[in-house]
Amino acid sequence: MPRIEDFSVSRRGFLIGAAALPALAQEQPKRIAIITTIYRYLSHGQHMGDRFLVGYPHEGAWHRPDMKVVSLYVDQKPEGDLSASRAAEFGFKVYPTIAETLRCGGDKLAVDAVLIIAEHGEYPVNDIGQKLYPRYEFFSQCVKVFEQDKRAVPVYSDKHLSYSFEKAEKMVADSRRLKFPMLAGSSLPVTWRLPDVELPLGGQIEEALMVGENGSDDAMDFHALEGLQCMVERRGKGEHGVRAVQWLEGPSVWQANWSKDLLAAALSRSDTPLGLTVKDGRTQDLLANGELQKLVPNPIAYVIEYRDSLRATMLNLKGALQDFNFAARVKGHGILSTQFLLTPEPNVTYSACLMNKVEQMFSERKAPYPVERTLLTSGIVEACHKSRGMGGRRLETPHLAVRYTPPAVSQYCRT
Amino acid sequence: MKLAAIVTVYRKYSHGQHIVDRFLEGYGWNGQHHHPAMDLVSLYVDEVPADDLSRERAARFPAMKIYPTITEALTLGGSKLAVDGVVIVGEHGNYPKTPKGQVQYPRYRFFEETVKVFRDSGKSVPVFNDKHLSWNWEWAKSMYDTSRSMGFPFLAGSSLPVTWRIPSLEMPDGATVSEALTICYGGVDSYDFHGLETLQCMLERRKGGETGVKWLQAYRGEKFWDAMRAGVWSKKLFDAALCRSHTLTPARAGFNDIFPSMEDMQRLIMDPVAYQYQHEDGPLATMILASGLVRDFNFAATLKGRSTPLSTQMYLPMPDGRTTLASFFSPLVRHVEEMFLTGKAPYPIERTLLTTGLTAAGVDSLYAGQTRLETPHLKIRYQPSAGSTYWRS
Repeated sequence: MPRIEDFSVSRRGFLIGAAALPALAQEQPKRIAIITTIYRYLSHGQHMGDRFLVGYPHEGAWHRPDMKVVSLYVDQKPEGDLSASRAAEFGFKVYPTIAETLRCGGDKLAVDAVLIIAEHGEYPVNDIGQKLYPRYEFFSQCVKVFEQDKRAVPVYSDKHLSYSFEKAEKMVADSRRLKFPMLAGSSLPVTWRLPDVELPLGGQIEEALMVGENGSDDAMDFHALEGLQCMVERRGKGEHGVRAVQWLEGPSVWQANWSKDLLAAALSRSDTPLGLTVKDGRTQDLLANGELQKLVPNPIAYVIEYRDSLRATMLNLKGALQDFNFAARVKGHGILSTQFLLTPEPNVTYSACLMNKVEQMFSERKAPYPVERTLLTSGIVEACHKSRGMGGRRLETPHLAVRYTPPAVSQYCRT
Repeated sequence: MKLAAIVTVYRKYSHGQHIVDRFLEGYGWNGQHHHPAMDLVSLYVDEVPADDLSRERAARFPAMKIYPTITEALTLGGSKLAVDGVVIVGEHGNYPKTPKGQVQYPRYRFFEETVKVFRDSGKSVPVFNDKHLSWNWEWAKSMYDTSRSMGFPFLAGSSLPVTWRIPSLEMPDGATVSEALTICYGGVDSYDFHGLETLQCMLERRKGGETGVKWLQAYRGEKFWDAMRAGVWSKKLFDAALCRSHTLTPARAGFNDIFPSMEDMQRLIMDPVAYQYQHEDGPLATMILASGLVRDFNFAATLKGRSTPLSTQMYLPMPDGRTTLASFFSPLVRHVEEMFLTGKAPYPIERTLLTTGLTAAGVDSLYAGQTRLETPHLKIRYQPSAGSTYWRS
């Protein structure tokens, strides 16, 4: 505990005995700025931002972060906007610009951390199906303030960094250049798993598969792909990036080069099989009973070839199930499989798992897992949508040579 | 190996459907679709409503025949017991209520008709009985005694002890527990039993094992709130259990997950009920039905040597809009299979004998004006299974 010792040494004249801890507790709570697209009931902005206002369940207690939200920027105020009522109740101000939000209306950066939640709201969709959330734009405005005021603070950016890998790369480069901790991504990597399974660190993954349900836009597929990424990054000598991707759609998905036994394993973890289960409650072996192809008129596969030759597939089986399930064949371990549990609305407690990681970064000024995971996933999402735009052609991705080391300690919710 | 199933009703999402279907269709287990290594060859269904599924199942699984009586289901129409195991599911269906409000599910009748075949055949086979043994304590005790005197393996109870736990944790072996609490939902003589099994599967692992229960008192309505305010059960444990819930009703409009105040809870909980009871060796236990506040089963306990409560959620992926498949029946059926395969119950029937008695005592206390009842008949001693039996793989 070097920090406490240093502190007690520097204050030796004022401290008696074990008074170091109470003295630390008197530190001012960290000041948080929230930058969001919208703040409406059950938007990411609301359920993530609120965790810093009213606390959240954590390890069997209601945890209230020792932090204070001091300012808020909302890009849009649709019907049901809660920003003004939250500001009035919790004693912070809504500012008209991001710069003012970070400076709390003054002339210098006046917060200790920034929470960027650019999910939900009305934004255009590009011609390859990506919704153009202004994450890069929000982030860049924060960076501009950091540069002008010669101080940078930790930033969390919700979901993928940007619809554009080029912009995402700039974001990560900015955080390195200005040396501020940065975290991003989905709740899937940090939520509960059923069963509580982690892949062995340094293990040899032979093939991996994620099965999800989503609208084939870049909102839900990002979650599935980052869930996949947080598992496969633990292989071998860490992540070395992606060589090529391919978007497959329609009947060719069933004939594609992914293992049926991995799909069987993933499906066996699902609590939401559709079709006959909805009709009369029965359990189903969706692969063996021939129902899968009937239930999924338009299967989609995101095929990912990693630079170390690992092959992973994300199957979007809309119509067959409604949860996220993973399976991988790992040398010496056989097939390992689990469900990433997305707990129900309205509590969506998985976002508490995620905000706990963000809170940890804000207080320790160190990201608990690498933002490169989200950088790579952002690039995979974009590349898959580009492949889609090219009629499902295999797309080489030399720009996705993203290398990183996964965290040594598992980061998902398990206590 | 041949099995007979005796069920009250076989309709979508009835326990009969959940359990029997798993023997017929198989189910997801350990990362694959598992088919039990046994054949369910006969079925007796007590009620056949318009939405019955048993006929459809029998048509699709011709190896399973439907018989008009329990005796014929067990003898496969012959004169002697012709199956190697019996699955009794006496839950759901239309049965009359007692003056105390208990649904008179015919578990005792099903069991008695089953053991009559055993006696007449001079042979017994393992029996699984879903949920508590009977609404009637005397009958439940008689079922237990019969199984012991005839010497056949007997398993019963709820899915709660065997389902996933979030987080995945067990009561440490030999822990010293001073108090435990469960917050769940549902009604009297229904989900109260599940809440009691949630408590008991954890408490039975305490130091010395189970010693039985001395007394029980139920609280309902205003008396529940008086007891809550007076600290009759630990608010710290209550809060810890509540913080394991994934289904906390938001106390305020516009907030999706906010910790409720006492006033909030008084507004939100419809018909609050608590059963509090004390074990012979001291630990105090409280089962709370908080419909309107939560829709899951959450456990917390005070353990010697721990500054914070041990807490977890016994997770039911409930097909009430949250899922489509009640996967918590999978570990239950897996344990039933294990009993049939090994001839040994994987966890003690005494757990369910005790929770059956506690359920009846809770109903009795409510009926007697929420008075404290001494429970000398619940001095049930037993040791838990050596290994954990909840879902982890």
